[in-house]
Amino acid sequence: MTRYTLWHRTAYRYGRSVDLASHLLHLSPRKLPGQVVRAAEIEVLPEGGHRKDGQDHFGNGVTWLFIGTTHDAFEVTLKATVEVDFAPPPPAGDTLPWEQVRDAARSPEGWDAAEFTLPSHHAPAERAAGLYAAESFPPGRPIMAGVRELCARIRRDFAFKAGVTSISTPVSRVLELRAGVCQDFAHLMIAGLRALGLPARYCSGYVRTRPPPGQARRQGADQSHAWVGCWLGPRHGWVDLDPTNDLVVSDEHLLLGWGRDFSDVSPVTGILLGGGRQKLTVGVDLIAE
Amino acid sequence: MVDGRGQVRPHWRGLLGAFSSLGYAAVAERGRRLDRAFEEEGVATVLADSASRTRRPWRCDPVPMILSAAEFASLESGLAQRARLMAAMLEDLYGPQRLLSEGALPATLVFGNPHFLRPCRAPATVPFPRLAFYGADLLRGPDGAWRVLADRTGGANGVGFAAENRNLLARVLPEAFRAVQVRSLRPFFDGWIDALQALAPPGVDNPRLALLTPGAKQETWLEHLFLSRQLGLELVETGDLTVRDGEVFLKTLRGLKRVDVILRRIKGELSDPLEFDAGTGVPGLMRVLRDGAVRLVNAPGSMLAEMPGAAPYLPACARLLLDEDLALAGLETLWMGDPAARDVVQAAPEAWRLRSAFEQGQEPPLGALEAFSERGTAAPWMFAATRPMPPSAAPQLAGEALEPAPVVLRMFLMRDAAGQWHAMPGGMAHVLEGSGAIAGPPARRGSAKDVWVMAEDTQDIVGPAAPRAAVLTIQRASGDLPSRVADDLYWLGRYVERLDGAARLMRALLSRLLRGAAMPREVAEIRTLARCLHAAGLIDAEAAASPADGAALPRALRAAAGPGGALLGLLEAVERPQVAVRDRLTHDMWAAFAHLIHEGRARLLAGVGGLDALAPAATAIIRFCTALSGIAAENMVRGGAWMFFDLGRRIERATATARNLAHALDQPPLRLEAGLRLALELCDSALTYRARYLAAVQAAPVLDLVLADPGNPRALGFQLAAVKERLAEIAGAEDLLAATAASLAARPQALVDAVLVATDRDVATAALPADLHALEAETAALSDAVARRYVSHVRTHSLGEDESGAPE
Repeated sequence: MTRYTLWHRTAYRYGRSVDLASHLLHLSPRKLPGQVVRAAEIEVLPEGGHRKDGQDHFGNGVTWLFIGTTHDAFEVTLKATVEVDFAPPPPAGDTLPWEQVRDAARSPEGWDAAEFTLPSHHAPAERAAGLYAAESFPPGRPIMAGVRELCARIRRDFAFKAGVTSISTPVSRVLELRAGVCQDFAHLMIAGLRALGLPARYCSGYVRTRPPPGQARRQGADQSHAWVGCWLGPRHGWVDLDPTNDLVVSDEHLLLGWGRDFSDVSPVTGILLGGGRQKLTVGVDLIAE
Repeated sequence: MVDGRGQVRPHWRGLLGAFSSLGYAAVAERGRRLDRAFEEEGVATVLADSASRTRRPWRCDPVPMILSAAEFASLESGLAQRARLMAAMLEDLYGPQRLLSEGALPATLVFGNPHFLRPCRAPATVPFPRLAFYGADLLRGPDGAWRVLADRTGGANGVGFAAENRNLLARVLPEAFRAVQVRSLRPFFDGWIDALQALAPPGVDNPRLALLTPGAKQETWLEHLFLSRQLGLELVETGDLTVRDGEVFLKTLRGLKRVDVILRRIKGELSDPLEFDAGTGVPGLMRVLRDGAVRLVNAPGSMLAEMPGAAPYLPACARLLLDEDLALAGLETLWMGDPAARDVVQAAPEAWRLRSAFEQGQEPPLGALEAFSERGTAAPWMFAATRPMPPSAAPQLAGEALEPAPVVLRMFLMRDAAGQWHAMPGGMAHVLEGSGAIAGPPARRGSAKDVWVMAEDTQDIVGPAAPRAAVLTIQRASGDLPSRVADDLYWLGRYVERLDGAARLMRALLSRLLRGAAMPREVAEIRTLARCLHAAGLIDAEAAASPADGAALPRALRAAAGPGGALLGLLEAVERPQVAVRDRLTHDMWAAFAHLIHEGRARLLAGVGGLDALAPAATAIIRFCTALSGIAAENMVRGGAWMFFDLGRRIERATATARNLAHALDQPPLRLEAGLRLALELCDSALTYRARYLAAVQAAPVLDLVLADPGNPRALGFQLAAVKERLAEIAGAEDLLAATAASLAARPQALVDAVLVATDRDVATAALPADLHALEAETAALSDAVARRYVSHVRTHSLGEDESGAPE
């Protein structure tokens, strides 16, 4: 078990005043068997807006903010204390052949995983992604062995490079570039698995800022991170893998929430009246105690 | 109409009797009258101008479709059951999803459905009904049994048109209604209003109801207009609404007014850009809905339930959710996500028709064929297959006789406060173009038909309606006018006036050009008028400066009237706001506008050929504008709508009058008298002047008449005084804009006074053009200030996306 202190600030400066703003935040660490949320609070500037907390369709915590006063800057800070200890994945040999997992997701017993087999905005049905993923899934291979290898291949074949892609870069382009950031690798892996009929979901959260002693610094620290939830069938359920760092998620990650892709769990979104040009700064610290 | 033994069904006898005694030639004439009635309503024009320009004018067959009382009762109970099922399915799919976990409905049909709107599944603080209005398309098969062709839980358009069909048919064919005991539609609409009011949040006594429409540019606009009239609802667009402190408000000229119940006629995903990424809507609306401070009929996401792919699973859903068997069957349909169903269809493909699993319609969607070859992006689960069925025929009028034509029937149901569903005793039937079997609602439909439900003796007695709401207090002001409507009316007023002014200048110039062989005085007048036309943006500078007897000027005038020309452009500029504020205009005003635009365009285009045809076209436009002013003066209540319309006219006329007079008076001393005569002509005041002063033309009396005389409705002072009054009515006399207008209104008299006290009046008059141009500029500045204050078209945009066109 690792206990973390999380600090995540998103700050916008506006070129022109905003008269009316509404925001939707996916910024609440999700309560899970492997993740105990000891404290979590969201601070907002300017203060005094209308605020509501609730859940989305996926069960993630959501906060609505409505700011009716004129403001030139908007700042959201999440501070949380969370204990993380995800159960180790089952041994690959104990898991079903991947074809059986695919069939289970189409049957009534896999009804709630079915949603994550379907194409979505950032992870569309992309033939090239399917062909790339298929190399790790020869007939009869246990699902865990397949997803583990796919994760390792992405880490090996793709360079982590900030600035070559944006959130609107399609998976097909990432495949050509052989480079991108955590979001791109997550969407690529999701699109590949779904092309095979396997459920995969997008996980939004953070990876620890300083690596465990003796290990290399993780890619994607100091910012929002993303990885992939893979479904192993009705018995073993979901296991999270981080293709950016080639890791099975255990105690180095903190999860906010999951969805079909980034657009379901974007941490801070909003609709503004006014604002002009916007300047964004983001800071993240995930410190192990 | 005819039963199996060739006998006329009893419920048709009354109508056929009425038709026979009227004579079919007369019935055909009534049909033409019905067409004209729809044309007058503007149905033809608006449909022709909507996005898909291929649409034809609306036609309603004078022969209704008749349902016997028993037939209607059985349809009503079958459809009410279906409505309960659809409502229960929506509650479940946007809630616990038992249908999926218990395997009654395949999960892919929901999770892969573009109409499954995930934000609608976020838990609500206060539960709300998701379905309170439902429609269904039905066909009667060869066996005589009714079947559901399509469920309509998203939009169910046509209820407004159904009411309009009934109103107009009753007007042109009263004999038929006397011959047949037809059930009235009114109790249904009264009950619906009650039901909508009952949805208001607890504690709201006199709830504000609104119909949310995508606006006049959409082809559904007339449907929404008719429906809002029928129900007495405010017609609003998303830009008229705003969310503040957890409530929804209508932006009006007198501030924000809370809205309690919204009859939603826009797509669910266009209702809140914060939660759906469509980019338009009312940010925060979904949150208010979940917290119980507003109710939407139907709630966003309701369209999910109408998916054709669910058809094979509806019996299982009904058993699980209602513990009932379905009374009313649909066409035989299979979902192609099921491998066994796919085998059935592939074994006999000619017996089935592929359709979208998620959208109503019978056309095979793009990619349907390659979906089964495992190529392309389409997948089998996106499709359904339906076994087509030929719809039975109903009589329609063809020439002067009846002939059978295949029809599809649409019926509408609403849920009352007690949760009971009621069908409208009527509906909308569509005659199909072409015959043959259909598998879903066809895209091409012919004329519409009113639907009559026969009354049973007991149903004739309609008890007094229950008191609906608190007694209304008398209201005189119309401050609730939405800001957007005020804006549209203001520009309507401005464009009508600009058109009128342009036509007057044009006519004045044409009459001189047509006389030919101009005298020097006339040459000077022609040059002045050409300058005025250039200043008004109707001809270019080169033409305005060209010789008075040359070819350039006539050519420029013809171009202004032709396609792409400035005058025709003004006519089209009138049309835009006029369509948008249609619900604020009386029927006569609307008809006058429609006439102005239609006739004006035709005459202008006819006048392109030569100047002698252009002059009568200008005269016709002037007369139409005059008629319109008369109708506005006599028929528009002096409320917000009229105030903004009149404000627009007065500001426009003040600006143009100041400008034209400045040009007319800008003459060398020798020509000043000609300039004064022209000033009288441009202000339509020559007759008055002659009556007062006979033939002598002098500066002071002319200037008094065209600038200051408070009794002359064409004088500059009259316009500015009216602007001052309108702004004082709208904003209060203390208001800054009203005060600015008041100081402007005093100026014309001051200009005349300055001339009167001058030692040399002609010299003083020669100084006037500069003063008038200054007044013109200040009036234009006032107009900008009015637009800035009352315009509501401020666009929102997303966080992370710079405001477009924003300064650094």
